[in-house]
Amino acid sequence: MRYSKRTGRLSVPGRKVRLATAAMLLVTMTTAAACSDGQDDGAKASAPKAPATIPELTKDPLTLSFIWFEWPPAQALEAFANEEYKKERPNATIKVNTVPNANWHDAMFTQFAARKTDFDIAILDSQHIGEAVTNGNILDLTDFVKTNIDVKAYNPYLLAAYGQFPQAETGKRDENASLYGLPLLGDTWTMIYRKDLIGDKPPQTWDEMISAAEKCQADNPGVSGLAFHQANGSDAAAVTYNTVNGVYGGNLWDAKTRKIQGVINDPAGQEAMDVLVNKMKPLTAKGSGNWFIDEVNAAVAQGKACIAFNWIAASGGLLDPKQSTLGTTRNQILDKLGFATLPSQKTNLVPLGGMGMHVSAYSSPANQAEALNFMKWFERADVQKKWAAAGGVPSRTDALESPEFLNAGPFNRVYADSVPRMRDMWNVPEYARLVDIENTNVNAALNGAKKPKEALDDIAKEQQSVLDSSSRKGGGGL
Amino acid sequence: MSDPAPSTIDRPGQVASATPPAPGRSRRLSDRGLAVAFISPALLLLLAMSVFPLLWALYLSFTDYSATRGGPANFVGFGNYTAILTSAQVHLRALTTVIYVVGAVGLQTVLGFTIAYLISRRTHGRGLLTTLFLVPMMLSPVVVGLFWRFMLDAQFGVVNSMLGSLGLGQVEWLTRQRTALISLIVVDTWQWTPFIMLIALAGLTAVPKYLYEAASIDRASEWFRFRTITLPLVWPLLLIAVLFRAIEAFRLFDLVYILTSGGPGVSTETLSFHVYKVAFLGFNTGTASAYGILMVLVVIVLTQLYLRYLNKLKED
Repeated sequence: MRYSKRTGRLSVPGRKVRLATAAMLLVTMTTAAACSDGQDDGAKASAPKAPATIPELTKDPLTLSFIWFEWPPAQALEAFANEEYKKERPNATIKVNTVPNANWHDAMFTQFAARKTDFDIAILDSQHIGEAVTNGNILDLTDFVKTNIDVKAYNPYLLAAYGQFPQAETGKRDENASLYGLPLLGDTWTMIYRKDLIGDKPPQTWDEMISAAEKCQADNPGVSGLAFHQANGSDAAAVTYNTVNGVYGGNLWDAKTRKIQGVINDPAGQEAMDVLVNKMKPLTAKGSGNWFIDEVNAAVAQGKACIAFNWIAASGGLLDPKQSTLGTTRNQILDKLGFATLPSQKTNLVPLGGMGMHVSAYSSPANQAEALNFMKWFERADVQKKWAAAGGVPSRTDALESPEFLNAGPFNRVYADSVPRMRDMWNVPEYARLVDIENTNVNAALNGAKKPKEALDDIAKEQQSVLDSSSRKGGGGL
Repeated sequence: MSDPAPSTIDRPGQVASATPPAPGRSRRLSDRGLAVAFISPALLLLLAMSVFPLLWALYLSFTDYSATRGGPANFVGFGNYTAILTSAQVHLRALTTVIYVVGAVGLQTVLGFTIAYLISRRTHGRGLLTTLFLVPMMLSPVVVGLFWRFMLDAQFGVVNSMLGSLGLGQVEWLTRQRTALISLIVVDTWQWTPFIMLIALAGLTAVPKYLYEAASIDRASEWFRFRTITLPLVWPLLLIAVLFRAIEAFRLFDLVYILTSGGPGVSTETLSFHVYKVAFLGFNTGTASAYGILMVLVVIVLTQLYLRYLNKLKED
């Protein structure tokens, strides 16, 4: 017979013994792997230092990869860098990899968690720096900056906001603190208003702005008074509340005592939430509770909003006649659209946007050297002016005041005027969770799922719990 | 070098069957070895991709390990489990998930069975109809989520446009607490009703014709035939389809992510979406692992109860 005699089924005790042995082996392997991993990780708990001078650069073809989210400045950066940087480093190709905005943090930090990145330069939001530094994911550039960058050429706060950790106080920079990044793109909110509907002069105070929007909405059926970010993804709704909070004299936290409870929900904070939910929200379009950058731009371009708020770096498309119903030429659109700094009320604070460049600690030495060289090149005065002319928002003061920048777009003057008024959010390792708590609660208040006071008190309670959770045994992250 | 094969001429009394295998054959795998060789790639894959991660997650669930923070994984005992089971945030997501699972699977079962019943009564075009109904099931949930997001947009969505042409007002499908969860249930139902329909159709076509013929001779009404013949025979198969759908719906993530991002607020955040946030926003890997393990346990326990009911049904 061709087939050998079939081995009989193992007796039940025999099978159990084999199964138990296999399970024990697996558990042993698992535990061993876990222990060894823990030991490896424990050895590198802080950010490694970049060299003070740029190491010798390779002459072989090299691709320098960035990671950012999908929006016009990402394409502008890739085109600009490949055109200009290649003149100095012909063997280098710049690739700006993009992900949807909502995945931006996850895309970078899951790779950091794997201790292996497919990018050399991470374009981090200012608030991400704390998390990346604490985990040792990006290089400490302090010595490199001292040797290669003219720090006096910048507004000190911009340099601090995009690179310093621990966080800088609003408007100040700690010269003794370490730097982990350099500015790539400055940004803040601009007020976009319909000159043909509310007049050439933009509202100067927040109250005036609300009144103008109210009147415009009443006078123009089908056009909503306001359009702003309300979505619960990314930092959309949180930035909106933080902006109103700042304008009405509120604070997000007390950084020194790490206290949020009783600070964000103090009377000023409550007034800000009341203004946002009860005065501003009724002036927005129905169903706009999930709007972010693109939806606000679409409403403006389609002539459906009297006054809107959006990031300057995302506003370029508003002047494109192909994307707008406001005119067939750029000038026709500009006859109807005006761009202004945010109105003030009790204070004149505006939100700090924009991002810095940060070198991945897991990139190869050749690519890290190229990344440092790119950053040194990018921060040069002449390159910053070219970046401004190409549609970027520079951070060097000379570039910000240059005609190349101020004439490149109608909103660039807004940015230059807003720089001394900027305020950032928390730049702490717990940022991602803090912003999620604020986003979901502000979004809930804006969409009627929570009362404004309840939402604000929940933000204070939950955020404080995150900051206080370091000593908790288990359950972190809930 | 192998020994020469013994010849029957040398020892005529010995039978040829005692001859050892030819030299070439000895290098071949035995049937058992061959079986092991065939099974081992799949087994190794299963161990590497399923068993090992599960055990790894089980280990991490007893620690405070964070994938980004690194450092040693400190043992916290059942700390993560007790924190999850007593968390009001988790209870809220569990309630949302239960409402979603019951709503979506219930609706899909009723619709799927109805469509299957109607199709099974047709003699012409049954194949074409079935294929057409299956199209939504073949699409990626992300694609489905994206185009439903556009269709349900309050300002320019086709759904509100149709309602407007009927003289009805605009509905905020994705940004109001009640409508957002209903929208998720509707979209999931649109995509997965065909699955229930397919299984129910298989059950309906397997019902012996002679039972209906006998019922006709007895002049049984349509309702009586459905209640006493069709439903009892299709019921066990339908319950299996419901089980599959319930497990799938229990771990819903993609539609929530695309359509509502869990909003407004956290009112459409399901357990899976919450695990994602715990795992990737704060990188609390230990807590997220315990959360995942608890979800697996819930599915296993409910499935076991369900299967016991099914077996009991069969025995009866």
